[in-house]
Amino acid sequence: MAKLSRRAIATYVAEQLTSQADSKKVILQLAAFLVDTRRTKELSLIVRDIQFYLSETGSVSGTITTATTLTAETKKAIERYIKEQTGAKTVALDSLIDPSVIGGVKVSIPGRELDATVSRSLTVLKTRFKKA
Amino acid sequence: MSELSITELSNDLRNAIAKLETTGNLDEVGVVLRVGDGVAWVRGLRNAGYNEVLQIETEEGIVEAFALNLMEDEIGAVLLGEDSKVKAGQTVRLKGSVLSVPIGPELLGRVVDPLGRAIDGGPAIKTKQQGLVEREAIGVMGRKSVHEPLMTGISAIDVMFPIGRGQRELIIGDRQTGKTALAIDTMINQGKQNTGVVNVYVAIGQKRSKIARLVERLKQEGVMDQTIIVATSPADPASLLYLAPYAATAMGEYFRDNSQHALMIYDDLTKHAVAYRQMSLLLRRPPGREAYPGDVFYLHSRLLERSAKLSDDLGAGSLTALPIIETQAGDISAYIPTNVISITDGQIFLETDLFYQGIRPAISAGLSVSRVGGAAQSGAIKSVSGGLKLGLSQFRELASFAQFGSDLDEATKSQIERGQRLTELLKQHQYNPMSVWQQVASILSVTKGYFDKVPAAKIKAAQASMITRLWADHKKDMSELDKGAKPTDEILKSIEVTAIAAAKGFEG
Repeated sequence: MAKLSRRAIATYVAEQLTSQADSKKVILQLAAFLVDTRRTKELSLIVRDIQFYLSETGSVSGTITTATTLTAETKKAIERYIKEQTGAKTVALDSLIDPSVIGGVKVSIPGRELDATVSRSLTVLKTRFKKA
Repeated sequence: MSELSITELSNDLRNAIAKLETTGNLDEVGVVLRVGDGVAWVRGLRNAGYNEVLQIETEEGIVEAFALNLMEDEIGAVLLGEDSKVKAGQTVRLKGSVLSVPIGPELLGRVVDPLGRAIDGGPAIKTKQQGLVEREAIGVMGRKSVHEPLMTGISAIDVMFPIGRGQRELIIGDRQTGKTALAIDTMINQGKQNTGVVNVYVAIGQKRSKIARLVERLKQEGVMDQTIIVATSPADPASLLYLAPYAATAMGEYFRDNSQHALMIYDDLTKHAVAYRQMSLLLRRPPGREAYPGDVFYLHSRLLERSAKLSDDLGAGSLTALPIIETQAGDISAYIPTNVISITDGQIFLETDLFYQGIRPAISAGLSVSRVGGAAQSGAIKSVSGGLKLGLSQFRELASFAQFGSDLDEATKSQIERGQRLTELLKQHQYNPMSVWQQVASILSVTKGYFDKVPAAKIKAAQASMITRLWADHKKDMSELDKGAKPTDEILKSIEVTAIAAAKGFEG
């Protein structure tokens, strides 16, 4: 049997999860499939793909990375922005504090990213100077 | 660091910061899954297009790659920089464009890499335009038949295998048979004869020392100002070797599309095919004959199809191509040689045996051909070239038979003797291209029998003497002949008289 693509597996799982099926049962099925086909190493990639397909159906989950703690108000504003941009019904964003970003904000959702951090600006600057 | 440079740096930095923009958009991103041997496998970026540029964010800055394998779960991208900086887990973004390089007259006289970055130690190149590396070849209606000559300055080629502007003529032969020398002489001739043709020399995986020597020579000959060199060395990643001819063609196309004439020299396409084979195997594409991928024909056909003579409506510019192919032990039936032979409009085959016999350029009269150049030959050259190729081929056949015995009839003997003289006459030193009048006078002196009493060993000396005399005594006529028109009876008479007079000093 041909190897099933990650895209196909993720699409199936995402469809099952959104069609009100028993989520625990679906997860067990997926786990059994991955063990049976010896593809457990691909688990994290498949989870990301599932998140991607779920985001396409209106439920977006992601992370906000900043150097300092965000106020609740800013976080809500970012969630509103993500809803506007993606047309999602629900947005769940985890906050992550990472001093290496120096300043600004990075919002990562499945397959997309808004990187307005100082560290990225510095990387772009470094590349431009190297080219010149 | 001086105060001035600190001020400059500070201003540059301020400008760069001012230009930094945050898009405020959610960009599509992917992640590097694996990397190695110049190939990165990327997850995500579902909207990536074929040949689209990807930007990988590394700790040392952004490394660019281009997508070549678009698969269901991942993208195979070939890195344009060092793979040691790229690590699994790094973020990848779409640049939103396919590969392009700087094009324009600003590149003349410069040595650049396939991405258009200066590698000659000169200032950074700033051009007004960018050209697509991969571009569709011009259509049927935008073309015109090849009809103007592109003089190489090598009489054996200009007389027997003429090349026209817009033609693709392959230079093929074993290693060390003078393939590059032919191409370099052709470039030098464009400068010496003031043809206005721009040279674009593409060095694919050539040693840097060789490029340095070439640049030095072109500067000495005064041709560098109308030349662009796109250089890659064996130390460069295969991706750059693969891109070099396409990028250089984009640079040449600028001149073609602006009603000018450009000459492309691809040195050599064998190494190009090898670089593409390496990339394809690393991208896990199925290997075919000689382990080359299935699309290796298309690799070269789409490149060489970009050389063309444009119609008058499009400005009548031209892009001539001289691709070079290296054979192994003279085998022209190998995969890549047969492919390129079938793509091009003829080939100049260089033979190792001839080369070591001292016949240089070592052009094989029997295996070489120019399929479209005849129409582009000038009247002057055409008037002396009739039957020359056939005669020389027959002479080489006869000469090989004549080795077995000395009982030859008079006709055969005279054919062999004239063949020997012609062979001597067509020998030419490197970096010494000849103008039209010199070629016409030289060929006439042998084919009309003016040099019949000169022994083969003294032919070159007699030729030099005749050329000097002709220029001294008939400068006006020779300048007229140099324009390319069929020689008048008066000019023919001058050549006859001078050749016979010159031959007298060398009869033996």
